[in-house]
Amino acid sequence: MRPEHKPKIIAFCCNWCGYAAADLAGIQRIQYPDSLRIIRVMCSGMVHPEMVLHALNKGADGVMIIGCQLGECHYIDGNEKAMARAELIDELLEDFGFENDRFLITRLSSSESEQFARTVGTMHKRVLELGPNPNSNQDNGDTP
Amino acid sequence: MNIRLAAESLHSCSGCEISLLNIGEALIPLLNRLQLVHLPLLMDHKYSDPAGSETEISIPKAEIGLVSGGVANTHQLQVLEAMRKSCTTLVALGTCGTHGGIPAMINEWPMADALQTVFSTVTTEPVDVPNQDTPPMLDRVYSLDEKTDVDIFLPGCPPDPTIIARVLEDFLDGLTPEPVTKSVCDTCPTRRTGKSERKLLRFTANARFDSNESTASMQCLLEQGFLCMGPVTAGGCGHQGEPACIRARVPCRGCYGPVRHQDNQMLGMLNGLVSQGIDFKTIIDRKSMLRFSGAHGRLRPLKEKKRAS
Repeated sequence: MRPEHKPKIIAFCCNWCGYAAADLAGIQRIQYPDSLRIIRVMCSGMVHPEMVLHALNKGADGVMIIGCQLGECHYIDGNEKAMARAELIDELLEDFGFENDRFLITRLSSSESEQFARTVGTMHKRVLELGPNPNSNQDNGDTP
Repeated sequence: MNIRLAAESLHSCSGCEISLLNIGEALIPLLNRLQLVHLPLLMDHKYSDPAGSETEISIPKAEIGLVSGGVANTHQLQVLEAMRKSCTTLVALGTCGTHGGIPAMINEWPMADALQTVFSTVTTEPVDVPNQDTPPMLDRVYSLDEKTDVDIFLPGCPPDPTIIARVLEDFLDGLTPEPVTKSVCDTCPTRRTGKSERKLLRFTANARFDSNESTASMQCLLEQGFLCMGPVTAGGCGHQGEPACIRARVPCRGCYGPVRHQDNQMLGMLNGLVSQGIDFKTIIDRKSMLRFSGAHGRLRPLKEKKRAS
């Protein structure tokens, strides 16, 4: 691990819970690592595995998907679809040359700002331990 | 002036050239407007000018260049570069050129391991991997666009003769050939009922169909439980209004590569299955879904697991 390694973590946050929790964490001024880059999506169920792989191919050190608690999805079962896809991503990342620890899916309700900060902290530590993404310094073009 | 055509085969099987000849009668009017200047499969032509330097590969200038096959060794790379220099428009002919094709399945293993396996099986006499008078292999099999700029992608294993003819005609008329935007499913006539099998069948099983009826009366093969690659494969195969494999009542193998150039067939297919509630772990050899598109780093050797225990 290089000491100057500043990781980048992409987080796909669902509009209704994950993003709201991040928003609340901001309002409450809770401190969490600045490695996070949030992308708001309408539902965690819309995050195609290709988007996760694309982020990693483009040099992100970690990718998170944050959705609603089970049973609380705004779109009935989007988060369950996300869970099924997460299982797939977990299994497939090694096929494409990434440690599966670079990916994390988690579920939060919109009021759980402290859990949000804690989860981001855990992910940040995990990515620091893994070291930089092997693809981070090379231009891979659009190849997934 | 006639338009000059050069064609070259790299890491390929000549199937694409057969398909080119298979254009049939439509080829004759095309040949009146085309001048073949370089086509090693049909005519004798030496790479190097006898008077010039021995190592330089020279290919006559041409307006259109068809290259089939991927790039696997240094000689093929040189030929590809020479083609790029000589041709104004370079066409990647066939899935090997556009996505790696069947030869790119070797990318699943490190090249040294693969060669070792090939040259020292239990049934043959052990020999060294040949390294004299053969060009050295690259570290893996590449598609053409990974090594040079490609103007037109014409996937297929092989591309349908009518498509090759259309692209050539378009080119002669000064038009830009339209890229494929439809998947095999978009062009498939089979019946969808919305009720699908939860268990996947192997390709050794037969589909349920009535051979006296047209394919439009057959239930979608994916619904019947076959791993039909239609949803994630570019359409255009089979010119009679239905995909070639479906016409033969077998599932799509995915030979035209992904619908959009940068897509990943395995990921797209598994994502679709998982959203339908099918357990992806029941698919034993999932990497075979990349059997036609293993270049671009999509198929790569598994890393040693380095997880802290």
